[in-house]
Amino acid sequence: MIVTTLKPLDEILNFISPYKNILIVGCDGCTQPPRGIREAEALSQLLELGGKQRNKEFAFKVNTLVKQCDSYLTAVALTDMIDDDVEAVLSLACGLGPQTIAILYPELPVFPAQNTVFIGSEEREAGTLEERCAACGDCVLGLTGGICPISRCAKSLLNGPCGGSQNGKCEVDPNKDCAWALIIERLDKLGRLQDLEAIQPPKDHQAIARPGKITL
Amino acid sequence: MASQEGLTLVEELEEVVDEASGKICLPPCQIACPLGEDIQRNNGMIALLPLDPEEASRQIIEIGDEIYEKNPLFPVCSYICGLCEQECNYKDQTGAVRRRLLLRFLIEHYLPYLKNKSPIAAPTKEKVALIGGGPGGLMCAYTLSKKGYQATILEKSSELGGALSYIPKYRLPIDVMDTTLNNLVRIAHIEVNFGVEMGDGGKTLDDLRKEGYRAVFIATGTPSPRPLTFERELVAGADLEGLIFGLNLLYDANQGEVAPNLFQGMRVIVVGGGNVAFDVARTARRLGGDVSLVCLESDDKSSKDGIPADVEEIEGATEEGIRITYSRGVSKIVGENGKFKKIECPRCTSVFDESGFNPQFDKSDVIYLEGDVLLITIGQGPEGAFLQQEGLLDERGRINIDQLTLMSNLKEGIFIGGDVRRVGFAAEAMRDGVTAAESIDRYLKGEDLRAGREKEYMGAPIPKRAHYKPQPELAWLPVEERLNFEPFEKGFTTEEAVGEARRCLCCGPCRSCKACITLGIQPGPPSIEVDEDLCIRCGNCAFYCPYEAVKLESPGVASIDLASCKGCGMCVARCPAMAITLENWERERISDLISKLSAQIKRPSILVFRCKWAVLPPLDGEFTQNIRAIELPCAARVDSLHILEAFQKGVDGVLIAVCPDEDCKREGGSREAQRLVVALKESLSQIGLQDRLHLCTIAPRHPEAVDNELEEFKKRITDICAAEAA
Repeated sequence: MIVTTLKPLDEILNFISPYKNILIVGCDGCTQPPRGIREAEALSQLLELGGKQRNKEFAFKVNTLVKQCDSYLTAVALTDMIDDDVEAVLSLACGLGPQTIAILYPELPVFPAQNTVFIGSEEREAGTLEERCAACGDCVLGLTGGICPISRCAKSLLNGPCGGSQNGKCEVDPNKDCAWALIIERLDKLGRLQDLEAIQPPKDHQAIARPGKITL
Repeated sequence: MASQEGLTLVEELEEVVDEASGKICLPPCQIACPLGEDIQRNNGMIALLPLDPEEASRQIIEIGDEIYEKNPLFPVCSYICGLCEQECNYKDQTGAVRRRLLLRFLIEHYLPYLKNKSPIAAPTKEKVALIGGGPGGLMCAYTLSKKGYQATILEKSSELGGALSYIPKYRLPIDVMDTTLNNLVRIAHIEVNFGVEMGDGGKTLDDLRKEGYRAVFIATGTPSPRPLTFERELVAGADLEGLIFGLNLLYDANQGEVAPNLFQGMRVIVVGGGNVAFDVARTARRLGGDVSLVCLESDDKSSKDGIPADVEEIEGATEEGIRITYSRGVSKIVGENGKFKKIECPRCTSVFDESGFNPQFDKSDVIYLEGDVLLITIGQGPEGAFLQQEGLLDERGRINIDQLTLMSNLKEGIFIGGDVRRVGFAAEAMRDGVTAAESIDRYLKGEDLRAGREKEYMGAPIPKRAHYKPQPELAWLPVEERLNFEPFEKGFTTEEAVGEARRCLCCGPCRSCKACITLGIQPGPPSIEVDEDLCIRCGNCAFYCPYEAVKLESPGVASIDLASCKGCGMCVARCPAMAITLENWERERISDLISKLSAQIKRPSILVFRCKWAVLPPLDGEFTQNIRAIELPCAARVDSLHILEAFQKGVDGVLIAVCPDEDCKREGGSREAQRLVVALKESLSQIGLQDRLHLCTIAPRHPEAVDNELEEFKKRITDICAAEAA
């Protein structure tokens, strides 16, 4: 899932201050933490209170839709949400949401409420979201025991670990696991340590031509 | 709400049937209690006793009255029973909730009241005779009386209590027993005839019939001590001086018929490993004896041959200097000049086998224990002659009854129960009394005795918690102060009782408890709905539910089992789609309340969200002008949307008052509120409102802490408003 953090309220307020009637729209897709209706409502309340501090009054409409990255679903849902009064849209989706809406409504200003930070997994027991995929276009998980060294190693090493691996932790941030220590531990459990003897060649960074495009 | 008129049960308790098994779901303690006391409910109400001592005392009496309905002997149980604690889900965590001591806390207030408790309506229906005035007979008489029958107890001795009269006073104070039994007889209009012999030289069942009794319950107990045997033969020496049946000693000691130093300077040997043997040993110790105890069983209580006495008894006796010799039988009693001298004790290699009690010995390993007195306490049996004469035994000498209804298979209208049927705990005999009363009622009405009476129960599982609170230690007087016949176990203070009752996790279903409803915390049993159209299948509700009440059904829609749900609102708080509604605590309802209250409060205005389990005092006095409170069913229902809404509606400050995490009655409710407030404060800090929101944790029942928090917060908000105006 795509992990986002809420932008500073000041930044959002700066975006929307020129307008009064604003649609705040959540996304029930893969955004984590969930950026659905509850989050959209809470944001509208915070912005209203923040507006008051600036002597600015807003009229928010708050809603959510299934997947803002899907132009068809978003178009259908927004038809009911956007009327002539709406002057701007504030999207709680990842970076895809504002872009979808911008294409659908070329006349309407669209602002992001989120910073999109990484593709990650939710560890509910620990209450964390952790980066686990770099969308590199050339997946190596088959060789590394299902643990991604590209996203989880600070140096994205393919033939790790480096000398900075200490007691299973990374020298860059001792609070984080060394991905290569995890890989070795896992392959050992699987009886596949010998897989690591083959040296991996440098990664092909052109595995997918950027910007990526796939025709269905 | 707990009104001035007192607690009233607004709805009947319901049976919650587990759909998969068809069994009735209850907390395990209640299943373990032979009388089915509503233990969880009682705990819930004790946990929320009001702060005002007089009001608390009044509520305690109401809780006592509820228990009395099911078990008028509960003051006695509060000293001698603990069957529920054996099954408490907490037992395997940090130790059972101490129900026995909680009951004892209640009776401190309840016993004085019991003396003036009004009698029930005078019975008018048929006469029923109860033979034996022990727990079984008394309980049957009470239950019959409530159903309108005239109950007469025919007791052989000159007092009521049966086997209870053998319990040493240091375990069951005489005034507790007397007050309980005498008032029961008064309240339930039970007629008691003492000195009534049945059988040889006394009355027959036919006589009773002629006297107009339409049914009879025989609960004559097991008054005959069992003599010592070895390999199925009686051990000779019963006529030696110094050889006493332990039961007789207990009875005499309770009657005050023994000298306080009866065993001074004597070596006393007690034979037996049950609780009664320990009563005898500890009584002998209190009469000055140098006491040792020998038993067949081993010291490993978990093994099949483990000693049956309770751990507390063994510990207490050991502390008092009683030596225990495990795994030894008695093969010979040796006397000298007509006096007891010693016993021969071969090692017992096995007590029970597939056939049951069948002790095996290694006769090559023998020790001798010398003493001046030998107290035999290896069990007791019924006096069988009367049952035999009345033709109530089968050809093998066993009582022939229907075990479900307790009616004799050989004579209609004759019911048999209590220890005479099967030796057990007092409460089990009492259950027989209740069972027999129900049967007698049906019998006299000509109804089917068996219909609908076979019920199966399943114990509710323990709710998961991050931490289980430790069990309070038993407080006993030190040995040097307790070698007398005064009770030595310290009871709970109000504070301790409330703390222990709060420890109860309320494992059972809400609908069979309803304490929260009686107390006004909830208007009804929890009702939660998931709107499937809004649900985004995230699974938060299932993951965060502390009661495992939410299941994710493929392809991810949540379904909530209302039998397990406790209505805390955790799932509501964690649902990003706002798809879950907790009845009575809906978002709109709380929003309306916020609108209403925010319009009432004078500035600087403060709105308090607080958990009803926090037992905080009502807002009054100087605070009423500026402060209003919204009470929630659990801190988990604190909602950032409501906090923000209060600010939007012009409230100057919002205070969240919850219990500290360790005191949270529901799992994680307080933690959840704290997490939410930290996150919200971070957002509010970006628009300069962070100081207007404050969360405080207040240990339940500490009103002074609430006042301090309110005082300080009000000052803070006043300052903020002043600065704003400037």
